[in-house]
Amino acid sequence: MAAERDLRTPRHLPNLRPGRQPPHPSWLPRQRVGTTPQMIGRYPDYDVLASADTWDPATREVVTERLREHGPLRFFTTEEEPTLRAFCDVATAQDSDPRIPVAEMVDDKLAAGRLDGYRYAGMPRDPDAWRLVLRGLDETARARYGRAGFAACDPQAREAIIGALAEGLLSGGAWDELDVSRAFSVCMRAILEAFYSHPWAWNEIGYGGPAYPLGYMRLGPLAVREPRERRGASAEDPVRAVEELQP
Amino acid sequence: MTGRLRGLLKGAIGPHANDSRYLLDVHRRDLPGQDTMARYEESEEVDLCIVGAGAGGSVLAQRLARRGWRVVIIEAGPFWHPDEDWVSDEAGSHELYWTQERVIGGEDPIELGKNNSGRGVGGSMVHYAGYCPRFHPSDFETETRDGVGADWPISYRDLKAHYEEVERELPVAGQDWPWGDPHRYPFSPHPIGGAAAVLWQGAIKQGIEMRVGPVGIVNGTFGNRPHCIYRGFCLQGCKVNAKASPYVTHLPDALAHGVEIRADSMAVRVEINDANGQATGVTYVRDGERTERQQRARMVAIAGYSIETPRLLLHSTSTRFPNGLGNNEDQVGRYVMVQGATQAAGRFPDELRMYKGPPPEVSSEQFYETDESRGFARGFSIQTVSPQPIGWAEHVLADGHWGGALREYMRDYNHWSTIGVLNELLPDPENRVTLAQDSDPYGMPVARFDYSRSENDKANMAYSKEILNGILHAAGAQDILTIQRYAHLVGGARMGRTPEDSVVNSDHRIWGVPNVFVADGSVCPTQGSANPALTIMALASRLAERLASRNTG
Ligand SMILES: Cc1cc2nc3c(=O)[nH]c(=O)nc-3n(C[C@H](O)[C@H](O)[C@H](O)COP(=O)(O)OP(=O)(O)OC[C@H]3O[C@@H](n4cnc5c(N)ncnc54)[C@H](O)[C@@H]3O)c2cc1C
Ligand code: SF4
Repeated sequence: MAAERDLRTPRHLPNLRPGRQPPHPSWLPRQRVGTTPQMIGRYPDYDVLASADTWDPATREVVTERLREHGPLRFFTTEEEPTLRAFCDVATAQDSDPRIPVAEMVDDKLAAGRLDGYRYAGMPRDPDAWRLVLRGLDETARARYGRAGFAACDPQAREAIIGALAEGLLSGGAWDELDVSRAFSVCMRAILEAFYSHPWAWNEIGYGGPAYPLGYMRLGPLAVREPRERRGASAEDPVRAVEELQP
Repeated sequence: MTGRLRGLLKGAIGPHANDSRYLLDVHRRDLPGQDTMARYEESEEVDLCIVGAGAGGSVLAQRLARRGWRVVIIEAGPFWHPDEDWVSDEAGSHELYWTQERVIGGEDPIELGKNNSGRGVGGSMVHYAGYCPRFHPSDFETETRDGVGADWPISYRDLKAHYEEVERELPVAGQDWPWGDPHRYPFSPHPIGGAAAVLWQGAIKQGIEMRVGPVGIVNGTFGNRPHCIYRGFCLQGCKVNAKASPYVTHLPDALAHGVEIRADSMAVRVEINDANGQATGVTYVRDGERTERQQRARMVAIAGYSIETPRLLLHSTSTRFPNGLGNNEDQVGRYVMVQGATQAAGRFPDELRMYKGPPPEVSSEQFYETDESRGFARGFSIQTVSPQPIGWAEHVLADGHWGGALREYMRDYNHWSTIGVLNELLPDPENRVTLAQDSDPYGMPVARFDYSRSENDKANMAYSKEILNGILHAAGAQDILTIQRYAHLVGGARMGRTPEDSVVNSDHRIWGVPNVFVADGSVCPTQGSANPALTIMALASRLAERLASRNTG
């Protein structure tokens, strides 16, 4: 009961908090079934993969393929790899295992030459934009923080650099060959598509997932959960949890 | 027919001359008739060669095949086998979209790809949402009424019977429609989900009328097409066959009447005989081949969507048309329009799970017409939508969140509900498709699309965003996230009264060419704030009637 009541309030939402910052995810319990990225348990008893046997074969193949072990990167070089991984981690706030293999999934997309169907005039092709962004991140890490590269920066510095990238505030070197905020959106498009196509992310957000041939019956407003779906939970008040975290 | 009788007959009156719904297989999703499809020799002069098996091209083919015309459709994308090719998954649906390179520019570049156009037999409607409103009578004369946009050379009356017939063919389900030319729908409205119900309550509090539908989704029995199972993947292609697209509504009947669809074939030029100015056929390249092929035809119709249609015309140069077919007056590719499609999401205390049910549920056209007190011309419509997780992530990102903040909003997905607008943005000659420097693997220059909004457009979008916020606040939203976006391209080869300011005449015929027609949304001179697919189909239906009766100007 307490858990349900917590989630009725919006106190955990960044827009309603100082500096638009989210609470640390430790206000949520640990995942109890299946896997979520970093085992964050907003829906601690829900595993979308438990209903994989009800999905049509074509869908099951496409989705479970995302769970396979990935080989070495094919598009990005070994020099680019640490920067790519650090960038993907910061962009999706993945600071520990289990991680959704965002870097591998982005690499897969670029290696396969899958395009999104548009390119901003004045911007290089997406694969070239990616390489320039990684180079730019390293250049900024060196110039602003005196580090060997982006991956060598501490978490605060990394976040500050990505924040500046998101705002389009970086310049010099590789950044001058790009429209910086557009470049951020090109990268984020691929990163978010990778992350939120992964069934572990669906567990985290409580999403019902593929639904053919089963379909959905409980559309609301009275009943909103199918037998295979689970309610959200939180054991703690996010406000208190965060106050305790602050020194 | 009296209103009462019509009410009783809901779902019982089928279309008159289209058996697609019976030709489909209840248990398999393949397009029936692919194996036994007619085949024409390339050297044989068929009656009509159509470029593009989408909304416009498919309806035109079906209609004329029924009248005995020998028709070949050249389609760039694949012949779908939905049981194997389509998935109940967002990222896995990448292949449905036109993802070949295109360049976007201008002050307000329009993101294309999954947001805008499809590629393959059935065209963009394979992954459209399913809203099927008609244009209003005013849309055909905005210049006369409101001093903006353009007057069409045809009126709503010319399309009305075709709207009614296409609504029976899709079939369209919805409440009786009070706006524009008030009308009823052949099928009853679908039940709606809790996420849409919350928004509707907000609208009622704000004094805004909404109605359920209109959607091209089967509600009840319709031949061999099943009822919707409310799985919410309309934008990823309906694996159920409940949602209308030409793949299920017109192409089965077309194949049964001798149409050949040549898939995986990219049209690169319309050939013109310089001696008499007539088109002789279409040149195309098949995937995996290097040499060009040519299909001879008595008439040619282009229906490749508002980007590819102008691109193909611009690339079809000849002595008579050195700057592209129909482009001697520099009109091809101009006046391409998009609708503003801002979406706002509200956060609610209870779980809503907006991913259930078709994204299109409830809509309003209360703000469709000009109201001078608002300070801009023309208006907008309001529609509920419901992004799946990747779409929701893009929405959250657009509000400025990434990293931990984005993850937090994403975890909250089940508590959100989303409503959007479609603004009628005005046609502008500088909003234009041209050929870029780069070429595609067929050796054809890729399209470049430049787009910028006018002051009227910006005022319309700003006003409508406040209306959305008002609805969400009234509904009790605890937080709001907004994304500004665009949808639905039309125009680029518009119809008009003179060659100086248009590309085709009222019969879709390219000025100065006796036998080439444009049969897709490119011909629209204005766009209203209604989603365009139904109108594109109705226009193609009318064009077929004109061609068949040889009444064409
Ligand atoms: C995500 C999304 C949601 C939408 N939602 C709605 C909605 O709810 N309601 C609505 O009314 N509309 C909606 N639309 C828009 C609607 O789908 C389109 O307006 C409509 O399908 C356009 O019809 P068309 O005939 O112009 O082109 P299309 O249906 O796109 O058909 C064009 C076809 O031509 C082919 N082609 C192009 N060039 C060539 C060439 N050179 N050679 C061979 N083939 C070629 C393409 O592969 C394609 O199959 C939506 C679109 C999208 C993408
Ligand atoms: S919600 Fe209905 S119409 Fe949409 S994809 Fe699912 S079954 Fe098809």
